[in-house]
Amino acid sequence: MTGYMLSTQLMEVDGCNRCQECMKWCPTFAVRPDRPGITPMYKNARWRELQAKSQSLRAKIFGPKPLTDDEMKVFTEDTYSCTTCGVCGTVCEAGIKTVELWEAMRPNLVKRGDGPVGKQNMFPKLVKADRNPYMAKQEDRLCWVPKDIKVQESGDIVYFAGCTAAYRQQALGVATVRILDNLGVPFAMLGKDEWCCASAMVRTGQREVMAEHAVHNVDALKDAGAKNVLFACAGCLRNAAVDWPMWYEGYIPYETMPLSVYLRERIRKGDVEYKIPLNYNVTYHDPCHNGRHLMHLKGKDWSFEASRDCITSIPGIKFRDMVRNRALQRCCGAGGGVKAGIPDLALDCAKARVKDGEEVAADIMASTCPFCRRNIMDGRNDAKSGIKVLDVVELMAASMGLDTTIPENPYTKFQEQDVLVCGPATCKVETVERKAPGKDLVGEAH
Amino acid sequence: MAFYTLGLTFNLVIFLTVIILAVWAYGIYFNFKKWGLGSTGYHDQLRNSFWLFLATWIHEAFKDGLWVFLRTVVLDVLLLRRTLARSPVRWVMHMSMFYGFLMLAALSGLGLMIDIVEHFNLLGLSEQAEMAKELLSLPFDIFGYLLLIGATIAVSRRILLKFVRDNTSAYDALLIGAVFLITVTGFYAEWMRGNSFLIGNAFEYPIYAPHFAMIHTVLAIGLFALILPWSKYIHVIATPMTLIANRGGE
Repeated sequence: MTGYMLSTQLMEVDGCNRCQECMKWCPTFAVRPDRPGITPMYKNARWRELQAKSQSLRAKIFGPKPLTDDEMKVFTEDTYSCTTCGVCGTVCEAGIKTVELWEAMRPNLVKRGDGPVGKQNMFPKLVKADRNPYMAKQEDRLCWVPKDIKVQESGDIVYFAGCTAAYRQQALGVATVRILDNLGVPFAMLGKDEWCCASAMVRTGQREVMAEHAVHNVDALKDAGAKNVLFACAGCLRNAAVDWPMWYEGYIPYETMPLSVYLRERIRKGDVEYKIPLNYNVTYHDPCHNGRHLMHLKGKDWSFEASRDCITSIPGIKFRDMVRNRALQRCCGAGGGVKAGIPDLALDCAKARVKDGEEVAADIMASTCPFCRRNIMDGRNDAKSGIKVLDVVELMAASMGLDTTIPENPYTKFQEQDVLVCGPATCKVETVERKAPGKDLVGEAH
Repeated sequence: MAFYTLGLTFNLVIFLTVIILAVWAYGIYFNFKKWGLGSTGYHDQLRNSFWLFLATWIHEAFKDGLWVFLRTVVLDVLLLRRTLARSPVRWVMHMSMFYGFLMLAALSGLGLMIDIVEHFNLLGLSEQAEMAKELLSLPFDIFGYLLLIGATIAVSRRILLKFVRDNTSAYDALLIGAVFLITVTGFYAEWMRGNSFLIGNAFEYPIYAPHFAMIHTVLAIGLFALILPWSKYIHVIATPMTLIANRGGE
């Protein structure tokens, strides 16, 4: 049962001093207060109990006790009812690296046949077959790129779009390439050589595909001559910055960078010219993967401030943070495979986040994660809230007066997102409804 | 006033001390070996080794250099920075208990050493040793009160705060209750001896003072030497080690 745990992680489980701080912040416990078992404190206690069955002093003297199906079922449900958002680790008095801990527990459950849960078990099959979770063709990776945009095959700057921007939220991809083009940035994309970042597999403990995808993507980026890889998807960024290097044995010559950081530099240099004011109350939802997961690697400025600086640079916007923000932000509920595995839990978390936005009277909740966006939109729809959900890049592109029309492509009918439609002087937010059922059983869940 | 009058001889006390320390040390070894069941790297094979756990821990602790290690020890382990960031009340509680307990344990160890010097008249320092023991009574009182304050806050939180109370397990209750009980019995044993700090002779009952001291000692040894390594109370060791290995945490 301890197979994928580091020895220091086994120590961390015993390091929990049951201060209960994690329970105050856990986003899933907040919407499932009748299930304390899903909180870190209880999960650690349960793990200790299970491990003690074979490795305690009693077990050494009297022999081990078998793990029963019932207790493993409960532990599996509790362990997978976690979005791996990491707020527990941020507030943990004992300094336990909880995200890594949960992600190390899950492969053991998968190996035993207890995990994953729900549709999560389809991740590896789909990704292995198509190299993306949407059952889409790899040849179509760039089908959404407007014809007038020049995408290079290699170069110093590579934009890693990610599967969702390529197939389901193409407005984000179009806005990104439009801005880069407008700024005169020569950039490359990997096209069919861009494989799924495999984040969903790592998060849910299904590691077998991870190594192959990590090695492939790193090699592809190296072959493209990348020195700076830009990400507009927090999930891909997290995986590229944290997980890929753990599976890649060679030298990695490039830097991974959130797109917002790159754009902020250009804003500061005075390269970005806004034309249309966006007269909206905007708040910012920090994606866990871009924020807490990266703040120790990339710094808090990159993780939290760059996106805010981009938003506040846009004329007309009245920006206001939600009560829970930055390192103590409330997770949207989509992460850790919860969106695919336990969708009702993800939805309730999203509704809680939408409520946070309503409390600051936000018209628009901006983010830099397509998965947060997807889930918050679902929560918004379920709660019948008027909040619109957009990416920071799309706000910028709209205010810059760029044409963000998505060229017709085989995936147009699967698009479902809020978009900014702009005239010469003003923009308004519209919701694009999906026109066909998507073949994305698992794709929403990172 | 010693408690050897209860049929315990000095030699027997020393013998029991050695036994208890051996059980405690084996408990720590047992846990380190249990932690050693894990691997040493993200996709390394399992090693199942006491020594490789130690090596992994040392590697993690010093990964970012000596300065970071020292900073973590001072800010996170000794000053409990992370606790202060979350709750000043809990910080006061933990600091009081941590330093109260740690210093009482250290003073007890020192007291035993002085006892040995006195008993064997090592270097002819028997008289000085007795005087030194007298000097220890004040720090014993101060750190005892510190521990009492911390234990009282801990018990009060668990009783008065609904959320904390609702999520208190039998383990939590036993640990905090035991710490509180040990502290109180320690104080009462001291008060029974008479002429106590702040209390004077209000509770003086010297005939039974050794008995109470014995109860206090057995409880303290029972909890911290015999139960601690074999239960979840191992967090007393594992938490600081975790903080150091993770360089202060997330």
